[in-house]
Amino acid sequence: MPAARQAGEYRKGETEAVRTERENTFAIETSALTKIYGNKAAVKNVELKVREGEIYGFIGRNGAGKSTTLKMLCGLASPTGGEIRLFGKPVSNPAVRRRLGVLIETAGLYPNMTARQNVVMKARCMGLTDERSVDDVLRLTGMQDTGRKKVKRFSMGMKQRLGVALALLGNPDMLILDEPLNGLDPEGIRELRQLVLKLHEEGKTILVSSHILGELSKIATIYGIIKDGELIEQITREELEERCQDYFHLQVEDVRRAFAFVQEAFPDVQAEVADDRSIRLYGVKDGAKLNQMLVENQVAVYASGFHRMDLEEYFLDRMEGGRRYV
Amino acid sequence: MFNLLRMDLYRVRKSKSVYICFGILLAATAAIFGLLWLMAVPRGQELAVRAGMLTAAELAESSAILKGVDSLEMFRQTCLNGGTYNMVFGIWIMLFVCSDFQSGFIKNVMALHQNRWKYVGSKIVTAGIVDFCYLILHLLFTLLVNRLFGNMVPYAKLGPCVFYLSWAWLVTTAFAALVILICVLSRSVAAGAVGTVLFSSGVIVTMLYSLMNTFHMGSWLKYSIYLTLSMGPGEYTAWKDLYVYAVGAGFLILYTAVAGVVLRRRDI
Repeated sequence: MPAARQAGEYRKGETEAVRTERENTFAIETSALTKIYGNKAAVKNVELKVREGEIYGFIGRNGAGKSTTLKMLCGLASPTGGEIRLFGKPVSNPAVRRRLGVLIETAGLYPNMTARQNVVMKARCMGLTDERSVDDVLRLTGMQDTGRKKVKRFSMGMKQRLGVALALLGNPDMLILDEPLNGLDPEGIRELRQLVLKLHEEGKTILVSSHILGELSKIATIYGIIKDGELIEQITREELEERCQDYFHLQVEDVRRAFAFVQEAFPDVQAEVADDRSIRLYGVKDGAKLNQMLVENQVAVYASGFHRMDLEEYFLDRMEGGRRYV
Repeated sequence: MFNLLRMDLYRVRKSKSVYICFGILLAATAAIFGLLWLMAVPRGQELAVRAGMLTAAELAESSAILKGVDSLEMFRQTCLNGGTYNMVFGIWIMLFVCSDFQSGFIKNVMALHQNRWKYVGSKIVTAGIVDFCYLILHLLFTLLVNRLFGNMVPYAKLGPCVFYLSWAWLVTTAFAALVILICVLSRSVAAGAVGTVLFSSGVIVTMLYSLMNTFHMGSWLKYSIYLTLSMGPGEYTAWKDLYVYAVGAGFLILYTAVAGVVLRRRDI
């Protein structure tokens, strides 16, 4: 499986100048983007910046403002305040909108039509006259063999795949996918992941939101975390790896004694009591030496080992307002 | 807008509802012709009397039922005057527009076309095209059924037919614009259906008439879509007869403009 390219990598046939220009161009740039419904701000002063060629993972709880932000980017909702620029131009620019493929929330499909008829509808809406592009996107998403079956008889996963096919029509430069993994089975998730990575290889910018953070962490090159309508963090994959620091997990008989011995023997190590039998130690380099010290001091060690925080844990940690050190 | 129109016409061709609604209109016309044949034609009356539908005393009265009626008047009476046409055509328009919102396909459209007027314009033009086809084919079907029933009524002249069809098309397209406005406002099939039935059946006009009549303004409703269709001229006799075009164009522009403004102001 191809991995997502990191920032600073060259693409096939790309020169230094082209790479620099690509990396300095924002596919999406918002400033003070705000959306207010009644008295409640759904999105508050969001400064979203997505460089061309990135896979941007947009994370947030239900109701955090993800879909509202994405709707504003697609022109489906008008911002109450702020500005959106896509590829350096205002979002209202018709030429820019043709460079955009979207799948927002559920796939918008006519239930009494076939998969092909739905794609033909979108093709006509875009002014595409060559129906080969219709067959191409159906093939790309594995929907070419659905024949005369009506969309209302499709499974949730098939509908999502058809939604992605609609988004891909017209070979857009940027894809905005809101919860594209919803309803997909493991095989469907794997296929979609491979498709996203392939499109990324082709140079497309992809903004994807998902609750399946494990999957998102396999493809995204940069993450944005939104909480209560505010973009609280934008972090690259490298930065995330740095911040998801290793901790050494200890399961011991007597947490109090173990904690005291560790603080005395390793003053540079930060310790956090996870529960009445577990301690998390940050900054440990030699786990064996620490185990030996505890055993020598007659503290029974049931289990120990290094642990790396994943995206899900990091996200939950940020939502709870940061890690509390002892 | 041309691309949206191509999309809409493709959907019209592929959808069943446009054929089902037209079939309902044709079935209603055929049924009315059948009933009139039983009441007004001697062979039919014989059958009706034998079946107990008519008494001998009622025969003379029922024979006069088609007096002074020609094929154009028959066409008007079967569907257009009472609001049946607007109801069936309005329900089709409602299904056509509301399904965009209910299915969510509107997101695909609006992500490409930020100019919401194009969407409303495309729907109005599509409604106008379907309306034109419905009216012409329905008139031809009326003439065919009349022929099959042994020319029950004499054929109308071409001139009055063209005059009537032209203004009826404009007024019924204005009614389509009203239904589109209701759909854009409510985005719901249920609300759209209720609105279509209330407006097409004349319930709203009757209520308004009672209200406005208390202020001696009931006659203004002569210029409503419902009463224009019922009471509009069958042929051109004087320039005053042209008011029907003004009614159709006025309501068409008004409802289209309001629908466009509503769509612009609301998020998808």
